[in-house]
Amino acid sequence: MRLTRKTALATALATLFVSAPAFAGDPIRTIDLFTRPQAAQPQEFQSVQLIAQEWRKLGLDVNVRVMPWEQMADVVWYQRDKWDTTAWQMVGRPERSDPDEIVYNLFHSSTAEKGYNFIGYNNPDYDKVVEAQRVEIDEAKRKELVYQAQEILAADQPNMMLVHPKSTFAYDKTVWNPDSVVNQSGIGIRNTWTFMSLEPLGDKRDIILNSGDNIQGINPLWISGGVDSWITELVWDRLARVGPDGLPQPWAAESYEWKDDKTLEVKLRSGMQWHDGKPVTVEDVKFSFDAVVSGEAPMYRPFATNVASIDIVDDSTMVFHLNQPAASFVTSSLAKINLIPKHVWEPIIEDLKTKEDNAESHQEATPIGSGPFKFERWLTNEEVVLAANKDHFNAPKADRWILRIVPNVEAALGMLRSGEINFVGEFSGDPQVLIDAAEADGDLNVVSTVDIGFRYVAFNARRAPFDDPAFRRALSAAVDRRLIVKAAFKGFAEASNSVVSPALEFWHDASVVENFEAGHEVAKTILEEAGYTLEGDRLHYPGDKKEELAQ
Amino acid sequence: MFQLKAAAGRTLQLGLVLWAVVTILFLMFRLMPGNPMAAYIDPTFTEEQQQALMAQFGLDRPLWEQYLIYLGNLLQGELGQSFRYREPVAERILTLLPNTLILTFTSLIIAYVFGILAGAYLAWRRGSAVEQAAIPVVLTTRAMPEFWLGMVLLAIFSFWLGWFPAGGTRSAGMDHGSLLGLYTSADFLAHLALPALTLAIYSQGLPLLLMRSNMLDVMKEDFVTMARIKGLSNWTVVVKHAARNALLPVMTSFAIAVGYQLQGNVVVESVFSWPGLGRELVNAVAASDYPLAQGAFLMIAIVVILMNLIADLLYALLDPRVTHV
Repeated sequence: MRLTRKTALATALATLFVSAPAFAGDPIRTIDLFTRPQAAQPQEFQSVQLIAQEWRKLGLDVNVRVMPWEQMADVVWYQRDKWDTTAWQMVGRPERSDPDEIVYNLFHSSTAEKGYNFIGYNNPDYDKVVEAQRVEIDEAKRKELVYQAQEILAADQPNMMLVHPKSTFAYDKTVWNPDSVVNQSGIGIRNTWTFMSLEPLGDKRDIILNSGDNIQGINPLWISGGVDSWITELVWDRLARVGPDGLPQPWAAESYEWKDDKTLEVKLRSGMQWHDGKPVTVEDVKFSFDAVVSGEAPMYRPFATNVASIDIVDDSTMVFHLNQPAASFVTSSLAKINLIPKHVWEPIIEDLKTKEDNAESHQEATPIGSGPFKFERWLTNEEVVLAANKDHFNAPKADRWILRIVPNVEAALGMLRSGEINFVGEFSGDPQVLIDAAEADGDLNVVSTVDIGFRYVAFNARRAPFDDPAFRRALSAAVDRRLIVKAAFKGFAEASNSVVSPALEFWHDASVVENFEAGHEVAKTILEEAGYTLEGDRLHYPGDKKEELAQ
Repeated sequence: MFQLKAAAGRTLQLGLVLWAVVTILFLMFRLMPGNPMAAYIDPTFTEEQQQALMAQFGLDRPLWEQYLIYLGNLLQGELGQSFRYREPVAERILTLLPNTLILTFTSLIIAYVFGILAGAYLAWRRGSAVEQAAIPVVLTTRAMPEFWLGMVLLAIFSFWLGWFPAGGTRSAGMDHGSLLGLYTSADFLAHLALPALTLAIYSQGLPLLLMRSNMLDVMKEDFVTMARIKGLSNWTVVVKHAARNALLPVMTSFAIAVGYQLQGNVVVESVFSWPGLGRELVNAVAASDYPLAQGAFLMIAIVVILMNLIADLLYALLDPRVTHV
């Protein structure tokens, strides 16, 4: 009797479980997706429209919120638990030719609270890998680690990588010899190497180029925007420079050599001079690194804090002692810190130490460097004029470098055709317009290069359901990147699934891009396997998960 | 006595207006969504740097404290330091203001000389075919957006005909020595032509229509009839008697137009890459550069208030019937 009763109970319970409806969590709340306005960022805006459309097909309610950059950055950066997903971009810079800055700062858990890991990605395995690549001096081993990092990111999809855009520039080929234009890997033809080697064909010998943004400072201890750095790279030398191939090479240093993984011997090139005629000495070099960590140059400080000390051996030899082994040291420090004259800056820095201001707000009347171009004139919001330094070891072939500030992009194009400018430093419009104009004109050459930078949609891992890698994978897989390349970027981009651009050939793991499968069906399958259900046309959480952020 | 009292009253009024402007400016930019720190976001932007910047900009203090510091500094004539450019706001504004003023006054003078002459002529030729054709044209130019007009002029006179340069105040790399040397050079005038013409076309409608309707009113008045009865020539009646009296409100509208024009400059300065205050204003607002945006707006507000005052005084001077009692 007892037995039967037990059996009956068991049967009843079993029936209850079997006949009960499949477990489903709450419906997923309306998801916000941020983008900047169409007028400012047409490609981003268009990409977001396509993405939202595909996500809706999966049963999500997506609310596209359009806002200007300042507002978007304020929420994403300073209110880290207040947003779901946002379009974002990383621009290419020569120092990003070393993958460390991107793979570490964007995803390491230590930068989640206040640094660039604003998505709150936290994967201890990943942390270990990127910490290891940081200190690995053996290039082949380091490459393996960087590959591993890319593979973890591909599996976790903390971001939805979209594309590496192509940077498109143009120049007047009747003014400049096309053979003298250098196409720097991941950067394009607008770079320091081009400006040094541009060879005039006729009697027009001034490089005249445009920028849409104003110059904010001409200061070896502070750059605020991309355009400022075009100038600092020309006026000041560094011990190393990132070469056209994306790898660092000796510059003001004649050579450098690792003695062990924390000791670097550097030999200074002989015969260099500051623009005021005084010689460049090892004392100046040591001073340049000391000035950066003096507390008066907060922006450059992170790039020199790893230097424990610099020993001066003789007139041309120095030894850098590091606190930690750093694989990217040559690119991120030697090729980044501007060499500044001690006789100019020592009194300034000493004076600033007694004041509230720091070197970032100190504008020299005539900036003095040792670089291939000398400062001549800066007219607020109008133009900057540099003159070729004919005494430089790599003296430019052009006479002057003149940057014109042209906020109106159509006017910039017209100026290029009329000869008011002869090199496009920046073109924020549709690249096809530039190509069409070049065809109509006949005197212009247009060059497009895949960028180190990239566009992506960031997922906020602090907020469900974006804390679930499967959910992120599904959302990322929902959109075929070829669609984004064609429809939003009109072909001027390369589909991406890795933060390391294919332009960085040595570091880029092509397999993560090739093996990435995308499409509505792929996304649907991932969601089903992870237990997400579709009730009616609305996607629900798996299991008995509650929606905790519903409005 | 009355005069003195009136002057004191006006000064007090001015002070109040300025204080209100200053307070609204202070609150407006801080209540706007956005954050001045957004410009610094970078993978290597550390927490230490963020805090240092907040302290440097004074943004770590409570709002009321920031307001009191701001007012205190203003009383000492101190506009603060731009967040974005790390340089004194006053210096930056004073560098850009001359470019804006010369563009504004050149275009307004062209617009008013043309507007007054054309307005008087059209009043004189009231009902003629010329007048019927001209009025719709004038109304059209009033309705054209400035940036569109600017782009059209740029396309025709610069890119197509190649008569004028497309932007800036001088040719690339051209050194004119002093500001005076620049403003008196042919190079500068060639660069000034298109932006000034754009603004002039945009602004001539107001003086033209004002002059025309004033003339029509004045022509009906007794003293004009009297002049005609005296047997004076048509020219003398129109120019010496009617036009002089019709001119009065047009002249005062000039003063007020200067203020409005400063707003119009924002667009034209961007189209023609003109390094003026209007363009800077837009950049400052977009980048949440509070001190610079406040300083630039305050400067414009002061010009508008001053011009209104001048307009008031001018009225009293030109027309003794107007008093400030």
